[in-house]
Amino acid sequence: MEGIIAIWQRDIKKFFRDRARLLGSFSMPILFLLIFGGGLSGTMETMMSSGMGDGSNGFNYVEFVFPGIVAMTLLMTAIFSAMSVIEDKNFGYMKEILVSPISRVSIAVGKMLGAATVSTIQGMILFLLIPFLGLSYSIISLIQVIPFMFLLGAALSGVGLLFASMIKSTQGFQLIVQIIVMPMIFLSGALFPINNMPSWLDVIVKFNPVTYGVDVMKKIMIDVDGLSQAVRETMGLNLTVFGRSVSVFEEILFILAFAVVFVAIATISFKRAHA
Amino acid sequence: MNSIISVKDLTKTYKKVDAVKAINFDVKEGEIFGFLGPNGAGKSTTINMICTMLKPTSGEIIINDYDAKKQKDEVRASIGIIFQENTLDEKLTANENLKLHCRFYNVPKHKRDDRIQEVLEIVDLVDVQKQRVEEYSGGMKRRLEIARGLLHYPKVLFLDEPTVGLDPNTRAHLWEYILKLKEKEGITMFLTTHYLDEAEISDRVAIMDQGEIIAIDSPTALKDQLGGDLIELSTEDNEAALKEIEEKMETVEVKVEEDTIHLKVASSDAFISSFIKTLEIPITKLNIRKPTLNDVFLAFTGRKIKE
Repeated sequence: MEGIIAIWQRDIKKFFRDRARLLGSFSMPILFLLIFGGGLSGTMETMMSSGMGDGSNGFNYVEFVFPGIVAMTLLMTAIFSAMSVIEDKNFGYMKEILVSPISRVSIAVGKMLGAATVSTIQGMILFLLIPFLGLSYSIISLIQVIPFMFLLGAALSGVGLLFASMIKSTQGFQLIVQIIVMPMIFLSGALFPINNMPSWLDVIVKFNPVTYGVDVMKKIMIDVDGLSQAVRETMGLNLTVFGRSVSVFEEILFILAFAVVFVAIATISFKRAHA
Repeated sequence: MNSIISVKDLTKTYKKVDAVKAINFDVKEGEIFGFLGPNGAGKSTTINMICTMLKPTSGEIIINDYDAKKQKDEVRASIGIIFQENTLDEKLTANENLKLHCRFYNVPKHKRDDRIQEVLEIVDLVDVQKQRVEEYSGGMKRRLEIARGLLHYPKVLFLDEPTVGLDPNTRAHLWEYILKLKEKEGITMFLTTHYLDEAEISDRVAIMDQGEIIAIDSPTALKDQLGGDLIELSTEDNEAALKEIEEKMETVEVKVEEDTIHLKVASSDAFISSFIKTLEIPITKLNIRKPTLNDVFLAFTGRKIKE
């Protein structure tokens, strides 16, 4: 237990000492908020009102896309935080960890919790933008969503840990991660609705953990019941798997299982590592 | 003295290459054990197996009464390792590096601060402990690693090429610290180095070559086995000198290499005064020395250790 906390805290401490990383990691979500929030919202909202007449009253696209952008930030930060494993290998520190009596599962869990914490903090900092975007979410919903963000960050960092344990260079890691992160974002419903996908893409959507992450975040943050049926359908707020709609509880279970599986795989790879 | 490390028939095979071939040795409690050999001799492979970082193909390793194959965590808690390369977190301060180590090794909470100050004192880094390690010089980093290796009071401290990449002055200082440590703590040390003069501080050395241990004894005993002191000389006419030496002097061995005559004699003190009086051909160069571990290495393997 002590070992888990030590590894966890070390990664958090290092995150706050690395100013460049702290600032740089905000550029992408802010860029997306500007492009999708500012640029697309007019188009989306016009499309909605012309398609549905009065049913779309009060629909705000930015309100829809904001939870998605927070989820996207979680995904990117969580996966990139796992890069610390490669850095530790390259700078030799992983040897210090591996020769110590810490169990291998503690190493993987510590790294996962570190990445989850860092990504949750990054996501929370985005909350500061809410008033400037002219949005209003209830304080309660924001507080409710934080533990879920932590869980999602942990699950997604598992993906990063898996790649980090197999790849030797940070450059290689960044390249591979870009390749998988982009589809994970675009096929999650974070930025636009994913109702009418071709069936082969739909399979990816349904196996993508970010899909459920985004869905839960929207269900917590947006007052879905207050929206008309038409808006809900058009904006993809009625996620169905195998023809039935899924509950928040089921989605959280799926993400939890995803986290456990990936931390188990990462543990095995640490067991095999001779640094 | 009891054995703290006991290695039996230890073997490591990579595909079809035998990196380590059924070696046997014991390290006694409290001694400095030197482990020598050229690159690729199997030293690192052996150390990695002892330190639980590499799985042996076969054989047995017992450290501090624990089995390195089955009781990995107990073995890991019993040893401290100073790696050849830097394994500090340079973004953290010295103190933070040491604190992390305490937590990895479960040093009791109330003892941590005292122990950290204690080891920092041994390596003279108390005043700079709040600085980030990236600001340290190479020698300071090594000292900090040694301090860290001691923090959990290991039974055996492994030093894998601890002075590689350091300037001669820093190297000399580092050895002072290491010797101080042995005197003060009586800790067992397992040392590898390819600077053979540094291995002289060992109580016993093992020489490894091509996966096998070819000699194991105290440095003095190993040098004594060579059978005498070494004299190297050049003269104005080496051939005539050689003839003269063979006729008039008592030597153990005579060899000519390029323009230098190598003599091995039972005792250089007794030999040299009569030698200089007797030899008629003028000497242009003369060097008398006691054998070093380098000569031991050369005698056992037929080649010099690669620097």
